[in-house]
Amino acid sequence: MTYVNTTSQPKERRFTSPLKIAEDQMLIGLTLLGQVSYLMWRTFGYMIRLQIDWGESVRQGYMIGVKSLVVVGITALFTGLAMSLQISRELVSFGADTSIGGVVSLALVREIGPITAGVIVAGRVGSSIAAELTTMMITEQIDALKVMRVDPIRFLVVPRYTAALIVIPTLSTYAMFLGLLAGIFIAKSAANVPPDTFLDSVRQTILDRDFSVHYLKSIINATVIIFFSCAIGLNTRGGAEDVGIATTRAIVWTMISIFILNFVVTSLTYAPR
Amino acid sequence: MNSEPVLQVKNIHKAFGDRKILQGVSFDVYAGEMLGLIGPSGCGKSTILKIICGLLEPDSGEVIRRSDEIGLVFQGSALLNSLSVRNNLALALDSRNLSRVEEDKIIREKLALVELADFMYASPTKLSGGQQKRTSFARAIVNDPKIILYDEPTTGLDPVMSTVIEDYMIVLSKQLSAASIVVTHQHSTWTRTTNRVVLMFEGKIVWQGTPEEGIKSSDPFIKQFASGSREGPMLATKI
Ligand SMILES: Nc1ncnc2c1ncn2[C@@H]1O[C@H](COP(=O)(O)OP(=O)(O)O)[C@@H](O)[C@H]1O
Ligand SMILES: [Mg+2]
Repeated sequence: MTYVNTTSQPKERRFTSPLKIAEDQMLIGLTLLGQVSYLMWRTFGYMIRLQIDWGESVRQGYMIGVKSLVVVGITALFTGLAMSLQISRELVSFGADTSIGGVVSLALVREIGPITAGVIVAGRVGSSIAAELTTMMITEQIDALKVMRVDPIRFLVVPRYTAALIVIPTLSTYAMFLGLLAGIFIAKSAANVPPDTFLDSVRQTILDRDFSVHYLKSIINATVIIFFSCAIGLNTRGGAEDVGIATTRAIVWTMISIFILNFVVTSLTYAPR
Repeated sequence: MNSEPVLQVKNIHKAFGDRKILQGVSFDVYAGEMLGLIGPSGCGKSTILKIICGLLEPDSGEVIRRSDEIGLVFQGSALLNSLSVRNNLALALDSRNLSRVEEDKIIREKLALVELADFMYASPTKLSGGQQKRTSFARAIVNDPKIILYDEPTTGLDPVMSTVIEDYMIVLSKQLSAASIVVTHQHSTWTRTTNRVVLMFEGKIVWQGTPEEGIKSSDPFIKQFASGSREGPMLATKI
């Protein structure tokens, strides 16, 4: 990030042309993408040589999981409830009650599970990683690592990514499972479809491929969340107020990327042919 | 103070954007010597230390070090809060591939030097400011460096604690016979711990000499800095 000089006069912003703003944002975005690519390159380098601090990875996994468990659960449950209600209502009007399970689970496995877990973890974990690493930059802890010849990427990024690769797919499975429970509940209470019928429909509809895509998406989410928030954290300088700025940037960039990449994967795997 | 200097800084220039921070800074430091680097805030003292230990690249000029082992004590201690005191020190030993027993022996020895042996397994967040500072001293000397850099070690400490920290610096530089640099603007620190003082202003060295000379000197720069007067060449508006 650019060095934020907080003592200088605030810039006159009122008349900045939208074109100039777009240009600036583009440049900032490209710089960030460069930083993210570098970080990924270095991290994968350590990981394929298995230079991973497993103890720290477990600790990070625990933190990521614990921070997200409740909030991912609640979100998945209520998204599942609302979505199942809509689907049940439409399918009942077509007399297709027995397909409720299939449609609900398709939506959950293919879209809602990964995106819910991804967005919530981005907000909860991505932001806290960006804040933590920015604080470490500002308090010169990162410089201290370098002076001791410890690579901050190996020390900070590798364990977080290793942990996220395990924990985030687990969280999206969990989101999918809770969403399914919500679906069973709605199907029974709102459309009077018994759980057995619901689950039969699920089994007939969901293919192995759907699970592969599900895990592909959640691995992409894990990658986006960790590398964007680490790149932002490790490239912010300045003072305490920059921690807040870095946190917001991390959330904005990871969420946007998650939604875009989710669509890219969906369009590559499910486009009608 | 015989033979060659352990550390030579030669004509360093450094700018951040279009702000020229260092404009030709040169000095030598010999084994067993403590050089005081003094000057108003923002004149580039920390920047020099970062260039010396390789955290920043100079735009021009060079740094010659006759030892690879270098210890830096950061202004804010910069301890890793997620690790215990022990593991903060162990990080610096990482590249040496020692056994746990050997590591513990070195760590205990260094912590004993700053009288913190009882805090080996404490979290840095539970330590007082002075204890954190001492821990960062121990961490900086874990590999017996021949160059030690202190960035404002006494800034923000009370006068008694400052004296304690200054005493540790004197002890450590004797024990390791290292070439040390202390960046400070605290009068007691440069008068008590250093053999030689370099005064910086606007990116250049404007005076150098022993602390005794500094206190008595009629040179307008050091006179103003030593007395903290408003009158002199270092205009308040420029600082
Ligand atoms: N990475 C950086 N990018 C831009 N400006 C910097 C950077 N580091 C320090 N500066 C600026 O350089 C000047 C000198 O900083 P520093 O060496 O920390 O001064 P001090 O003598 O107080 O230690 C300050 O004005 C500071 O704002
Ligand atoms: Mg400084």
